[in-house]
Amino acid sequence: MAIVPAASAVQAGAAGGPPRRRKIRSSKLPVLLVAPALVLLALFTLAPAIYALVLSLQKVQVSGGLLGTTTHQVFAGISNYTATFTDPEFWASLGRMLIIAVIGVPATVIMATLFALCLDANKARLTTFSRLAIFLPYAVPGVIASLLWGFLYLPATSPIGGQDINYFGNRAIFFTVANVAVWGVVGFNTVVIYTALRAVPADIYQAAQIDGAGELKIALRIKLPLIAPAVAMISLFSVIGALQLFNEPTALRPLANAISSTWVPLMRVYTDAFVTNNIYGGAASAFTLLVMTVAATVLVGVAANRLIRRSSR
Amino acid sequence: MTRFGKRRAAAAVGMAAMAVTALAACSSGSSPSSGSANQVVHLTFTNWDNGMQAVVNAWNKENPKIQVKLIKPAGTGYTLYNKLITDNSAGTNPDVSEIEYQALPEMISNHVVISLNKYVPNLAKTYSQAALGQVEFQGKIYGVPQNICPMVFYYRKDIFQRLGLKPPTTWAQYAADAVKIHKADPKEYLGNFDAGDPEWFAGLAEQAGANWWTTSGDKWTVGIDDSATQKVASYWEGLVNKGVISPEPSFSTQWDTDMNNGTLVGWISAQWAPDQLPALAASTAGKWEAAPLPAWTAGDSTVGTWGGESEVVTSDSKHPAQAAKFVKWMNSSEQGLNLLIKNVNVFPAATFAQSLPALNTPPSFMSDQPDFYGLMRSIAKHVRNFQIWGPNASVTFDSYSDAFAAALQNHTSFGQALTTVQNATVSGMQKSGFTVSG
Repeated sequence: MAIVPAASAVQAGAAGGPPRRRKIRSSKLPVLLVAPALVLLALFTLAPAIYALVLSLQKVQVSGGLLGTTTHQVFAGISNYTATFTDPEFWASLGRMLIIAVIGVPATVIMATLFALCLDANKARLTTFSRLAIFLPYAVPGVIASLLWGFLYLPATSPIGGQDINYFGNRAIFFTVANVAVWGVVGFNTVVIYTALRAVPADIYQAAQIDGAGELKIALRIKLPLIAPAVAMISLFSVIGALQLFNEPTALRPLANAISSTWVPLMRVYTDAFVTNNIYGGAASAFTLLVMTVAATVLVGVAANRLIRRSSR
Repeated sequence: MTRFGKRRAAAAVGMAAMAVTALAACSSGSSPSSGSANQVVHLTFTNWDNGMQAVVNAWNKENPKIQVKLIKPAGTGYTLYNKLITDNSAGTNPDVSEIEYQALPEMISNHVVISLNKYVPNLAKTYSQAALGQVEFQGKIYGVPQNICPMVFYYRKDIFQRLGLKPPTTWAQYAADAVKIHKADPKEYLGNFDAGDPEWFAGLAEQAGANWWTTSGDKWTVGIDDSATQKVASYWEGLVNKGVISPEPSFSTQWDTDMNNGTLVGWISAQWAPDQLPALAASTAGKWEAAPLPAWTAGDSTVGTWGGESEVVTSDSKHPAQAAKFVKWMNSSEQGLNLLIKNVNVFPAATFAQSLPALNTPPSFMSDQPDFYGLMRSIAKHVRNFQIWGPNASVTFDSYSDAFAAALQNHTSFGQALTTVQNATVSGMQKSGFTVSG
């Protein structure tokens, strides 16, 4: 439960503020302005995260009685964490998530950049319609999209060859899930990149044209380097999105035998907490994931910053 | 009583359920009011059965002092039970809820429900020992049984007739028929192996003589991979590997379509199927017939159950006496049961009610089988259940779904999957501190 809001706070933190140039003299205004955000962060992110941490250090112990008529909540030390770390299924679920990320993140970034460059090209026609068409899948809730894709995949209802292609095979399933996730976010990312492209002063392009550069050359040599920060940012968001993979596999799970209840880490947390009623174990897994997510975000953020700095030199 | 599209519902509401849990404080509990004689007591009641509102309305009309509000839960089966367990910590549970038998021990061990001995002292007169055994543990009664749901074999009589087949009476014959049907039309299957519904498989194991959980004093023994269950598992593994049984989970989109278009010509289900089939396979109305489940030895009528519910009073209820009164009326009075039979297609657990005249009319989906309930009555006499369901059956069931789905997906051994389920169950119980051997 805690992991989702916590991770989005990380996004906010990582994306927030370039280094401040001027020192702001003592004034209450800034405090007032950030107060609502801080209060919300404390209430809905920090407090649940702390509660999850507290829960993760406890367990319920049944004492006496066939059906546990006496139960106590006792201090468990790190036993919930060792249970998580020694469970091969936990690492397997992380592995599956990484496979999806390896497929999905580059696909999202490349497609979003490609779409944005195409929309921005001088020769592009029907841009308003195309922009809307590309953006539309983002407006469809993930669960609905997954169910729709489910119908497209299943042999009984598939218009895209589900009778001959097993979309739920042991290898295919990764592409099947990644595909749903990618279509869901590509539209949003396209808009981010497209906005970045629009912000580039037009005289740069004119200068390039005068120098004899064609559309393709402008796209590759001028536009791409200029939108590198935006590309880096959507890469970061895509990585975080991959770490939070939950909706798509959960919604696809009842359709076939390919997806287990612990298929990706967040599904495991959900299963622990709300299916097998081990809220303490679930909290431990959630907290572990939170730490991993923060670490991954910082790593990707630092890497992306380096990349941008190098390319802007 | 019944389960409807459990997996599907679970998928659609999974995330919603999480949000609801987080906002537990907003959900309705019992309104606190002093229990003085002149005040109206308001009770809340969660139940997912279609037609239940009519039963509640009838009660409200006759009991102006005890007004019941029916709440349809966001999800059925374990989606509801897990919500009840979570909300129990917040103290926001409804006064009364339906709990299927297989989940009741877990609800007791999580302190969700209270003992009703004080309020319903004479249940033994109304119920058979077998029915009472589903709700009574160590002398305490935790729920009033509503119905029993023996497993039943449903088949497409039009297709059986075309192939000159009769409903199989033994599992050996079922296997032979499965081959015949698939050979006659490679698109058709006699049935499916359902990795999505653990209670389905448990019911088949009950018939074979398994006892997944047994107790002696305060000690538990877990026997999920006992020889009887292994026999059932390897039987189905054989059929699945031959390719004559569909591996699709029941209540999935694929299965719905297959049930509708005649790909599936049989369904190993339970008494409640006619309540579900109109929604699942509407276009096949009038083509299905019910028959006793095939037997392991010819002539043996032993059968397991799939589903079946009791109504319980939660520990959050501020009016347990009134809540128990409502529950007792609904599930064990002639008036309540007549309403349940008429509106919810219930086959009652109360012995006297199994011969109520209301049962002379078959459910509308089975109108071609006028003696449907007569058949149920004779099948229900031979119901065999496990001694008790585990105090962490949710772990068992979750493990079953994962292990058997993986076995189907990877074509690995069902027996191995069973061992996985056994180990998960035992280690889960040990972790919680139950005394267990297995």
